[in-house]
Amino acid sequence: MASTTVYPGSEPARWKYLDRIRTRAGPFTDGDAYDGSMVAEAMENMTVLVIGAGGLGCEILKNLALSGFKNIHVIDMDTIDISNLNRQFLFRAEDVGKYKAEVAARFVEKRVRGVKITPHNKMIQDFDEDFYMQFQLVVCGLDSIEARRWINATLVNMVDEEVEDSYKPLIDGGTEGFKGQSRVIFPTVTSCIECQLDMHAPRAAVPLCTLASIPRQPEHCIEWAHVIAWDAEKPFPSLDKDDPEHITWLFKKALLRAQEFNIPGVTYALTQGVVKNIIPAIAATNSVIAASCCNEALKIASNCAPSLGYPNNNYMMYSGNDSIYTYTFKHEKKDDCPVCGNLARELQVDPAWTLGELVESFATRPEAQLKKPSIRAESKTLYMQSPVSLEEATRPNLDKTLVELGLSDGEEVGVTDPAFATVSFKFKLKFKKTE
Amino acid sequence: MLKIWSMKKEQQKAENAEGAAGGKKKKVTAAQLRVQKDLSELSLGSTMRTEFPDPDNILSFILYVEPDEGMYRGAKFSFTFNITPNFPHEPPKVQCREKIYHPNIDLEGKVCLNILREDWKPVLNLNAVIVGLQFLFLEPNASDPLNKEAAEDLRTNREGFKRNVRVAMGGGSVKGVLFDRVLK
Amino acid sequence: MTEIVMSQTPPILHGPSEKEKKYDRQLRLWAASGQAALESANLLLVNSGAGVVGVETFKNLILPGIGRFAIYDDALVEEADLGVNFFVDESCLGKPRSQCLTELLTELNPDVHGSWYPSEETAPSLDSLLATSPVFTAIIYTLPIAPERLAQLEAYGRQHKTPLFAIHSAGFYSYFRISLPGAFPIVDTHPDETATTDLRLLTPWPELVEFARDMTKDIDSLDAYEHGHLPYVVILLYYLERWKQTHEGRYPSTYKEKTEFRRIVQNAARADNPEGGEENFDEAAAAVLKTVVPPSLPSGLREVFDYTPSEPIEERSSFWIVANAIKAFHAKHKTLPLRGNVPDMKAKSSVYIQLQNIYKTKARQDAAEVLETAQSIAPGRQFDPAEVELFCKNAPFVKLINATKGVDSASSTCVNVLREVTAQELANDENAEITLSPLSLLPIYLALRATSHVASATADEILSSIEETIPGTKDHERIVSAAQEVARAEGGELHNIAALTGGMVAQEMIKIITKQYIPIDNTCIFDGIASRSQVLRL
Repeated sequence: MASTTVYPGSEPARWKYLDRIRTRAGPFTDGDAYDGSMVAEAMENMTVLVIGAGGLGCEILKNLALSGFKNIHVIDMDTIDISNLNRQFLFRAEDVGKYKAEVAARFVEKRVRGVKITPHNKMIQDFDEDFYMQFQLVVCGLDSIEARRWINATLVNMVDEEVEDSYKPLIDGGTEGFKGQSRVIFPTVTSCIECQLDMHAPRAAVPLCTLASIPRQPEHCIEWAHVIAWDAEKPFPSLDKDDPEHITWLFKKALLRAQEFNIPGVTYALTQGVVKNIIPAIAATNSVIAASCCNEALKIASNCAPSLGYPNNNYMMYSGNDSIYTYTFKHEKKDDCPVCGNLARELQVDPAWTLGELVESFATRPEAQLKKPSIRAESKTLYMQSPVSLEEATRPNLDKTLVELGLSDGEEVGVTDPAFATVSFKFKLKFKKTE
Repeated sequence: MLKIWSMKKEQQKAENAEGAAGGKKKKVTAAQLRVQKDLSELSLGSTMRTEFPDPDNILSFILYVEPDEGMYRGAKFSFTFNITPNFPHEPPKVQCREKIYHPNIDLEGKVCLNILREDWKPVLNLNAVIVGLQFLFLEPNASDPLNKEAAEDLRTNREGFKRNVRVAMGGGSVKGVLFDRVLK
Repeated sequence: MTEIVMSQTPPILHGPSEKEKKYDRQLRLWAASGQAALESANLLLVNSGAGVVGVETFKNLILPGIGRFAIYDDALVEEADLGVNFFVDESCLGKPRSQCLTELLTELNPDVHGSWYPSEETAPSLDSLLATSPVFTAIIYTLPIAPERLAQLEAYGRQHKTPLFAIHSAGFYSYFRISLPGAFPIVDTHPDETATTDLRLLTPWPELVEFARDMTKDIDSLDAYEHGHLPYVVILLYYLERWKQTHEGRYPSTYKEKTEFRRIVQNAARADNPEGGEENFDEAAAAVLKTVVPPSLPSGLREVFDYTPSEPIEERSSFWIVANAIKAFHAKHKTLPLRGNVPDMKAKSSVYIQLQNIYKTKARQDAAEVLETAQSIAPGRQFDPAEVELFCKNAPFVKLINATKGVDSASSTCVNVLREVTAQELANDENAEITLSPLSLLPIYLALRATSHVASATADEILSSIEETIPGTKDHERIVSAAQEVARAEGGELHNIAALTGGMVAQEMIKIITKQYIPIDNTCIFDGIASRSQVLRL
């Protein structure tokens, strides 16, 4: 039964609709995990990270600000383009060329009193774990799979079983035309983005030889201009897909080729679409998906209603092409996921050991029993059994100590062995304390 | 209860801070670990070898191929391999470093091999790519050409094609195009 | 005399205009024709309650560039608006909400014109607005709404054939319902490209037969290159012909026969080459089950053929005349006009282009015949040939929405439908576990509907109101929970649910204005707790 007491936060009149829901239980609220009297304050003390200040990002910032979150950071390295204005509603024509993160943050801060938004005009890869540690929730509105995989792997790797704060729920949205999806990931607990990689169909590629000798479609002519003619003629030092002059060059090349083969349909817009891999995007779909993500964020932060994630459904697919269809389901975690199925284990080592001693120790360790291990750190190849050239190049490392090789306490190494075709190991080196 | 938990957390934070004093702790990425695995499973045989300009960067290397049979025997070809952080979701980028006369390799060094583009799947590995490259020298394919002239020659005049291959490999010119010398 | 051949006119070599640049990402969805429709749209929002969901809908319509909009809202901005609505700020407190919303929404797109009401000078009441304003393309109203006001809007909808969108968002729940003034046919439904392949392999016409025969007359003596580049359409036509010769003139029709036929095609590939097979034969084998099919009449089109327009204005519309012409075409030829697209397949460039032209030419001939028939049905009428061609191209995917007419929300028909659907949905839920289907969201609709005309209500009040409409429901567990959840909100909106619903409504509005893609028929319910939706016809 619904409770009757509302526990307002700092501005009761302003947030009355929100407080009715987030501070008192409804029929579906899990009473064990919920304390309405703590919600407003807890949310005011949370810091949320938004990745992407584009079509989804603008919506997400607005939605979080109107969901009672007070501290928000936003990362986006892009600047505003005229083609953003049909949906990225925090930007105006005069903002073209400015940083998205900055303009978006300033706009929402001005419109919604009491919210603090810190913009970062950078790439997510520019920040380390210490930076990501400060957030309690991460909401992603990205168009790149690569960036999603990076943040996913980072958040999964940050999990420390013994530190509650190290679990950062990741909420991810994506759209294409009238379709989209939103999903909630509890790193190491639920299926992660890497587990779900098969949900992203790879872009269909056309054989290079078709482009070169038997083009049939306008797209083949455009790809030919892009992949083959550009490299052969190098009209500009490097291809800038946002430079109209470059696109025009490709368009004219593609058009000539199309005329040679009597292929109809090459246009400037198609050229731009193929070369930039443009995905159609509209405000309405972004509105649906961003709001779905932020709805989950509110539920996770307040426990005022069950959220997507754990233990049941964690994924919502939305399609608006033909009527409206949502499919909400549980995407299962993959045991052999290269990210969340392969967490680094701790390995006690003596920093004074030589690398050779470490390599030999793998043969006797009950958890590994590796006969021919190859071992690498993130930016250093320590010892590779094969191929021959790498073995030769890394053999001298076997006589050096771990310290001499520049390894430090807590650093991760990857270990592979051809005898284990399907698994590879990650170990976190724990230096024995020298008395 | 709650207090003990938060004390424990504080303690752990202090420990973490100490451990992190050495700076950012580097993690092994999924792409690198996969490349490491693929490399340690490579079977190159006697006709191929690799070269790593920077052994610490395994995402970039050179593969040498020295066919010991077929029309291209006696020559040495080299390919650059560049692997992105998105591997194995994306295929490795492979390019021939020499200008050679081959129906499936163009004058810029682009290679038409299905698994390098339209048929790439994350379950494939570097060995599959290397086997594919080796095969191109044993059985050049005239029906899906990248170098149309060479394919036309192979299709219509196999003996003439063989002669052209020898001329091109010796650094000579074929139909006005000068090729790199690749004979050992 | 100069002969102008369309396909050889080179496209103009200039870049996109500023407007094309701004709207690039949406023009790829609905093209210039859809954009033009949006730009001539004139929309009205009659706002009420917490007042967010309609505004979020408008945001998503102003950004892509509708022509004009008007907001009617009696409320003055109060403190609570600032915590839930993004299009008001501190300076708005105490001002008419319609004015503030309109001003801040207009900032989103300088191409769009907005106005706000009630206004002392121009339209002091909804009545006067409806009477004096240029006809609205569609009207959105939010719930709760006073019954008299609803009646006014429904009367306007009937009189002007204006689609009405009702939206109700409270707490984690929402629904919206579209009332269309009559049957709503859509030609440009944007079917999945892969679903559109129609190669007529079992009913080839003379030009296609001749083309295929010519390419395959010496199939066994073709050199490796030619053989490996026969388009799969030609390969299938050749082996179908051979099959017929050994099967008493019949084509493979059963699944067993088709798999046998597929095996024959696969085995006909040459394997004496470096690849040990032929890609074009692989394509041919893979296409057998999908393309070796007799012509059929899809259900969506059958519904169009069977429909009798009830009003003269409908009957005279070009849609129904062209539909009748296509019906006549189908009766005469036992097939629909050809769509004319050829999927990409391995082939030499020139051969593929020739094949493409054979299909395109036939499609144009079919469309010309339909045009002629249409003209004979309606003598003196001018038809746009491009429109007829589009209809012919999309004929298999044409869709009719709201074939049985919408009715006013308070009418007894409406209540009877609701009772029937409720019985059906609750019965389905009994078997949900066995059928692995999600539970019905109808309880959410019932609970929200019970607060259609009141600012807020207790769970008991909601349940007794539902009981009054649909006897026997007040103890149903899921209806009780839904009522409690609606009561929890006390008529307040959550911004996220308003934004989400506003996105869905905007998508539907775009589909209806552009007459592209397929809108819902007619009610969509969203559950923000389970994060899923359901569409029901109510």
